[in-house]
Amino acid sequence: MSSVLLSVRDLSVTHGSGTRAVPLVHSVNFDLARGQILSIVGESGSGKSMTSKALMGLLPPNVTATGEAQFRGANLLDKNIAPPRGTGIGLIFQEPMTALTPVLTIGMQLTEAMVVHGLADARDAKARAIQMLERVGIPNPKQRMTQYPHELSGGMRQRVMIAMMMLLEPDILIADEPTTALDVTVQAQILDLLRDIVRDTDVGLILITHDMGVVAEMAEDVMVMKAGRVVEAGSVHQIFQAPGDAYTRALLDAVPSVETASVDSKPTDSQALLSIRHLSKTFSGGRAFGIAASVTRAVDDVSLDIMPGETLALVGESGSGKSTLGRILARLTKADKGNVTLAGTDLLSLEGAPLRQERRKIQMIFQDPYASLDPRQSVGAAIAEPIKIQTTLSKADRAKRVAQLLSRVGLTPDMASRFPHEFSGGQRQRVSIARAIAAGPELIIADEPTSALDVSIQAQILDLLSDLKSENGLTMLFISHDLAVVRQVADRIAVMRAGRILEFGPTEAVWASPRHPYTKALIDAAPVPDPSRKRSARAHALDTFPMTPLIEAAPGHWVAL
Amino acid sequence: MWRFIGTRVAMGALTIWVTTMLVTLLIHAVPGDPVQIMYAQSQGTTPEQIEQVRRSLGLDRSIPVQYLMYLERLFQGDLGNTIRGGQPVLEVIMQRLPNTLVLAVASMFIAIVIGVPIGFLAAYREGTIVDIGLMVLAIAGISMPHFWLGLMLLFFFALELGWLPVSGNGPMNLILPALTLGLSNAAIFARLTRSSMIDVMNQDFVQTAFAKGLPKAIVLRRHVLRAGLLPVVTMMGLQFAFMMGGAIVVENIFSWNGVGRMAVEAIFQRDYPIIQGFILTFSVVVVVVAIAVDALYAVLDPRIRRA
Repeated sequence: MSSVLLSVRDLSVTHGSGTRAVPLVHSVNFDLARGQILSIVGESGSGKSMTSKALMGLLPPNVTATGEAQFRGANLLDKNIAPPRGTGIGLIFQEPMTALTPVLTIGMQLTEAMVVHGLADARDAKARAIQMLERVGIPNPKQRMTQYPHELSGGMRQRVMIAMMMLLEPDILIADEPTTALDVTVQAQILDLLRDIVRDTDVGLILITHDMGVVAEMAEDVMVMKAGRVVEAGSVHQIFQAPGDAYTRALLDAVPSVETASVDSKPTDSQALLSIRHLSKTFSGGRAFGIAASVTRAVDDVSLDIMPGETLALVGESGSGKSTLGRILARLTKADKGNVTLAGTDLLSLEGAPLRQERRKIQMIFQDPYASLDPRQSVGAAIAEPIKIQTTLSKADRAKRVAQLLSRVGLTPDMASRFPHEFSGGQRQRVSIARAIAAGPELIIADEPTSALDVSIQAQILDLLSDLKSENGLTMLFISHDLAVVRQVADRIAVMRAGRILEFGPTEAVWASPRHPYTKALIDAAPVPDPSRKRSARAHALDTFPMTPLIEAAPGHWVAL
Repeated sequence: MWRFIGTRVAMGALTIWVTTMLVTLLIHAVPGDPVQIMYAQSQGTTPEQIEQVRRSLGLDRSIPVQYLMYLERLFQGDLGNTIRGGQPVLEVIMQRLPNTLVLAVASMFIAIVIGVPIGFLAAYREGTIVDIGLMVLAIAGISMPHFWLGLMLLFFFALELGWLPVSGNGPMNLILPALTLGLSNAAIFARLTRSSMIDVMNQDFVQTAFAKGLPKAIVLRRHVLRAGLLPVVTMMGLQFAFMMGGAIVVENIFSWNGVGRMAVEAIFQRDYPIIQGFILTFSVVVVVVAIAVDALYAVLDPRIRRA
């Protein structure tokens, strides 16, 4: 444990040179020992990824690193030395969907570097690759060798990525947000795997993440970065129990805790605003001459009511059908069966002018604020557009309304003439919210509205949404994969998997006494931002959950058991 | 994989079927009486003769009947007879089609052999003087019309230097027309290859390959080139159709005895059976090439195969 592998002193990274140089990382110092897990925490733009790229010699052109990083008796930042990529330091990326070459087999990608580095000949490399696949928990490893990345799930691809790097027997593994793109249950498995690998091979792990829950669960030592500077470093207990820096405290506070509930749900006996009955939608893949080769039940016989003024959360992992359901309600996707009524009007049968009329009443907020605003439209115009279409306000009145809306979502009226690229992600999401509430909708469908944002920004957006809810009586369908976020905003939760609702009830009831094993697995898998309470239970096998019709287990608490 | 190709073949057959219908209608799309127009230039045709030609072409029947008759003959391998000379159209086309195919394939070969490496080099040296120079050259190549480039090549290599023959058919005669067609397409391939390679080089999996410690040469050859060539392969299929079209101009400049030149002559002479046969043959060639390209695409990109 004591032997220092990597010793970084005064590492700085700069973009450009001379008078136009922009510093990205300022004078970072740390040591990494064998078998140690060091976590570098920070939000986007903090320089945490640049630090790791500098160590790998993978900085983009125009970006230079200075300082010292002693590894195996050489300075990694010395440009005259070939960086020990792969064999010295392995790097695991965030996005397993794009990090593997789509046109080469898994086997090829696993073995090629071993052969290039002279670690094994082709046959030996293949045998070791199969062994390693088994080690990282991939079933049928022999078969996988001949498959292509697209034939594997995201979690499996991340395992392949880990196997690929570990086959080169590096001393250091850098994992750059390795689980951010994965579902929470899969995240738990990958974190377990990484921890096992560190324990078994004594590799030093640098875990880069923005997620305090992941930090608490994995790391022994933590380094908090902000705007290219290390603001605080220390042991994980020290950081969580007695954070010295204001920014660290802010980061910890911003984490939507699974411990604190903020919603006081008021049961309503009134008529449902939106009522969904027996809704189904199937997608078919591999269509040839109109005959589908495979059928996916995206939404499978779903019935739900949303009461006026409540926030109903639809929780599920990728592929659960939660977004499809949201899109059906917004009439962006057609349903196969079932019906949906909004305040008594049948939504799904509407066409033409009546449909446009009803559309005003349901508005959407999308996940990615970078993609959901037209880059060539000023934000004022974007917000004014629904007002123009749905009301008869004059131009001057519209401008007044836009100014009001901008102040309402925490921006200033003079921002109306600016364009989306002039705003940060959080500000853009505020614009999206202003646009959604512009025409006075009765229901807002928010599809992962904070998933693309940093935690501190996420907290602000969630606050804004709950303000709008309490002050304007907004009704909202909140779609999310993140139970902790959901707990903070929702009155009721519906847990969805493979197109079906497995559990449904008041937030506190579902949270305190989850009845369905899948709900339990989801809650268990969520990393808790408390290093003294490391999650021990392994994630459940995921294919074996009961999916029967819902029964009422407690008043208002339904479960498929 | 086989279902993918099966689908493509079926779509190709559908395309050709639609072409047969259009070809039948073509003769009626010309304003006025087609037979009279056909014979407008020849003197001394009696009304009886014209009536006979009309009957032999089936033009006295209704259009659906004409179409069925046409299909019936087509399935027997009969594309009709030329109006001048009365030879079987199929025979006339088949005599010349190989020449055009040789020209198109040679041009495609030149276009790829020159265009892809240039694009790859430009991408590798993105933003440098090499890149800019190559791309200026490529724009010049794209902008230059076939007939102009052809005439210039003819002027220098055949007339001034005397290295190559001016016209005719033979291996040496192939070089200039193939260069004419190939060079302008090389410019298109160069630009496409460059942008596609740059696109791929910015992808995550290239970072992964570098992170494994692979040397740049292997990363480029194994990871970048194959993924980056996919759009180029698609373009090959499209460009082949354009090359067949371009052959019409180039064949005339170099007096290359292909179907393009034949088609131009037939159009001037209003020889409808040949024009119909030419369009049909052309569409069959283009469809076959498109299917071949799709199959190649499936080989290169496992995601298309659909396990």
